[in-house]
Amino acid sequence: MSALSFSLKPNHTQQIDCRLLTPNNLADLSVAEIENLNLLNIKNSPKIGDYFEVSGSDASHIVFKNADAQLNYIGHKMTRGQITVEGDCGDFLGHQMRGGTIFCQGNAKDRVGDQMRRGLILVDSNAGDYCGSRMIAGTIGVYGSVGRYVGFAMKRGTILLTKTPQLHATIQDCGTHTLPFLALLFKSFNAFSTLFNDIKSHRIQRYAGDLACNGNGEILVLIQ
Amino acid sequence: MQINGITIDDTFAEAFNMRGTRVIITALNLKWAYHAANAMTGFATSVIGCGVEAGIEREIDSDETPDGRPGVSILMFAMGSKVLMQQLETRMGQCILTCPTAAAFAGIAAGLEVDQISLGRHLRYFGDGYQTSKLMTDPNGITKRYWRIPVMDGEFLTQETTGMVRAIGGGNFLILATSQPAALRAAETAIEAMKKVPNVIMPFPGGVVRSGSKVGSKYPKMFASTNDAFCPTLKGLVNTKLSDEIESVMEIVIDGLTFEDISRSMYVGIQSICALGDKSGVKRISAGNYGGKLGPHHFKLHEIMGNSK
Repeated sequence: MSALSFSLKPNHTQQIDCRLLTPNNLADLSVAEIENLNLLNIKNSPKIGDYFEVSGSDASHIVFKNADAQLNYIGHKMTRGQITVEGDCGDFLGHQMRGGTIFCQGNAKDRVGDQMRRGLILVDSNAGDYCGSRMIAGTIGVYGSVGRYVGFAMKRGTILLTKTPQLHATIQDCGTHTLPFLALLFKSFNAFSTLFNDIKSHRIQRYAGDLACNGNGEILVLIQ
Repeated sequence: MQINGITIDDTFAEAFNMRGTRVIITALNLKWAYHAANAMTGFATSVIGCGVEAGIEREIDSDETPDGRPGVSILMFAMGSKVLMQQLETRMGQCILTCPTAAAFAGIAAGLEVDQISLGRHLRYFGDGYQTSKLMTDPNGITKRYWRIPVMDGEFLTQETTGMVRAIGGGNFLILATSQPAALRAAETAIEAMKKVPNVIMPFPGGVVRSGSKVGSKYPKMFASTNDAFCPTLKGLVNTKLSDEIESVMEIVIDGLTFEDISRSMYVGIQSICALGDKSGVKRISAGNYGGKLGPHHFKLHEIMGNSK
């Protein structure tokens, strides 16, 4: 079975809410049924087929092709499966995510993993402001840079970065360490063709926070 | 039956149902993995006095371990699941958590007929609120939960659970030789060969036991006592099973995950002794049983040595 693909049609001008396009919602539906589904749970909603060309059949792996920064809420409340974003994506990638994996090959805008509880989000390029905001648990990896207020109000969870971000006052520096669990974490990344697979070091600078919310979360900045 | 001049008695080893588990212990290097594993499997020769029987199964290369560090796998057996769970948690806390750089992982994957028991599930509370859990997916796509517990050398990493399976304990054979050094040399030869067999351990010191027991005693409070029929110094006093020339008997006890594993291990051990020939001083191979009434598993020496030839 090939992955269920949503190829974004050109020349759209609006922000597109993708919260219904998850492995949970689209399991066991045919391409025709998906194209005729409402994009949003509102009256007079556009159809999914208005914006995307749909192909493939395996809803446990969803691929967004030709994706751009106007696709918001990708992976909202997903609990299982995998979403691959070929290109950029908009705000709230993995919002309230409960499991599964999201792999974004381009840039993600603000609030990646906002309120996520479980699962893995990998962004191979840059992420915007408030990355990992209100995070409850789970793992976010951003290979490029992140904007301001990373880990804002995070309770638990891990945000893995390669560049030291600008941190706010309630994130505390816990020093440099070599952590054995990173070997397992990087092994789990091997299922994706991500830039993280090039990293060989398990040495990190550990920041804990957000102290405004217990401070059991962590921002790990890889030292290469 | 005779192999290379050594007599194989027409008897059988009697073994019991047990519950078993495997834990993979890794560390910064093999030396410290062994320190942890030796502590974990220490004082675990017999369920009679130790609660569990445990031993090191084999070394594991770093490319085979979950965290890419060198490690060893240990097997642990008990008469029931409750004791096994209790002993595993106690030993994890006192032997693995305390050992510098050591980490512990499940050695038996989840599946049918496999119960999940705590490896680090309760140990995590040592972290006093600073412990963190991580769900990570292995190369086979199976997601497992791990615990990271802050400790003074850095971080203690342990998987939350490991698998517990039905197993067999008490496979054995006896080496009857003309002298103590000859019996010991033969036992060492057998242990070296048997260490290469997977899924089994020989839990006694060096894999060998010299104080085989019989059920009961003249003393009412003792439920096991010396196996007088195989004690060479009592030949003239009891209904001995030893001929005049036998001066020393040593026993190898085997616990394993399946009947076939123990059979294979017994064959490899006995065959390696027989390869030494009767000039080594070994004259007979026998086995310990209780008349077949106590243990449901019977390892018949002639079948094992005959079938596997």
